[in-house]
Amino acid sequence: MTSQTAKPRHTAASTNQGCYVYGIVPADVEVEPGTPGVHGPSSEVGLVTHGEIGALVSEVPLDRPLGTPDSLTAHQRLLDEVAAEVPVLPMRFGAVMSSPQAVVQELLTPYHEEFRTALAELEGHAEYVVKGRYVERHLLEEVLEENPEARRLREEIRELPEDAGREARIELGELVNQAVAAKRDADTREIAERLVPLSVLVSPREPSHEQDAVHLALLVADDRRADLERTVDEFARRYRGRVDLWLLGPMAPYDFVVSSKPGDEEWD
Amino acid sequence: MTVQPATGGVARRPSSGSLADVIDTILDKGLVIDAYVRVSLVGIELLTIDARIVVASVDTYLRFAEAVNRLDLAETGHQQGLPELVENMTQQVSSRKGKGVVQGALEGAQEKLHDLVGDSDEEEPAAPSGRRRHREDRR
Repeated sequence: MTSQTAKPRHTAASTNQGCYVYGIVPADVEVEPGTPGVHGPSSEVGLVTHGEIGALVSEVPLDRPLGTPDSLTAHQRLLDEVAAEVPVLPMRFGAVMSSPQAVVQELLTPYHEEFRTALAELEGHAEYVVKGRYVERHLLEEVLEENPEARRLREEIRELPEDAGREARIELGELVNQAVAAKRDADTREIAERLVPLSVLVSPREPSHEQDAVHLALLVADDRRADLERTVDEFARRYRGRVDLWLLGPMAPYDFVVSSKPGDEEWD
Repeated sequence: MTVQPATGGVARRPSSGSLADVIDTILDKGLVIDAYVRVSLVGIELLTIDARIVVASVDTYLRFAEAVNRLDLAETGHQQGLPELVENMTQQVSSRKGKGVVQGALEGAQEKLHDLVGDSDEEEPAAPSGRRRHREDRR
């Protein structure tokens, strides 16, 4: 590549405005005028197109950092709203290019076929996330009941003065954490077994909280949505009081698009 | 509680969910622009907030231990009546779910996810199990 690759910041230093890229969509998408972008109402979302595909973009000032809660939410809300209507390839948060023209020339034109094919494959599908969080009290009672060593440590800690029990507390916590991880694996496997047949693809997510019970991303065809909702409902009923269960979606297929770099096809 | 029996038990949140869900979703998932673009790529500073808890750290262990101790207190009075018990649980749940928890974490843990749009070689190989190409075979 060119020397500009090493210092991308310099490329746009003269303009002071960049072009934020949200995602790739079919060219015939209509963006409602006034749709707010990552910098609020002042950064209206627009569409640039090439051939059969387009990119959702908005202007961003380059001298301000990105990443406030509002801008994170705006990024996802736009993509999810679009995904409810048409297929979309979501970009990871923070994609900025120098200008709308550059988006057409360097993103849409060279990768037209790849993006068009991917959008066609995603037609009629959306992502859902099933997320479960253990109810703390129930979880800890379960662990203590099943684990005599944890009960013993709990008693030991109770006898110790506040600052003397650190080692024992860490030991107890580690034990509980292991027990929770085992429960998470078992519960995730059980739910996944029921959801895999309803999904085109299933992608486990890392737990994002120590009391997570299940965290699964699913790519589901629109005509299976009702089945999915019913199945998650069944689990929620069965787990009531033990696990709080949510179904998020439909949303853009964040967990199912992977950039293919030439020579970097496989993730290791 | 978040369970809504009237609708069959699932609390269905708006599609994007809470800020924590947003963070789980858009910061390390989706297409990476620098896999495609070189020349016109613009590096912009990202102030990202990471409300995620690192699972399996000493902090996690200490939180679990503390939670077990709190459980003790509730148990010492086994004579605690049911209404009280329910109230306790509701408080626990709401304090865990409350906005304040997330916001506290947000304020406390403001962190830059450095060079997310920068050098792709430094990118963490996030969750290989979570990566699939959408081009995989399907029936």
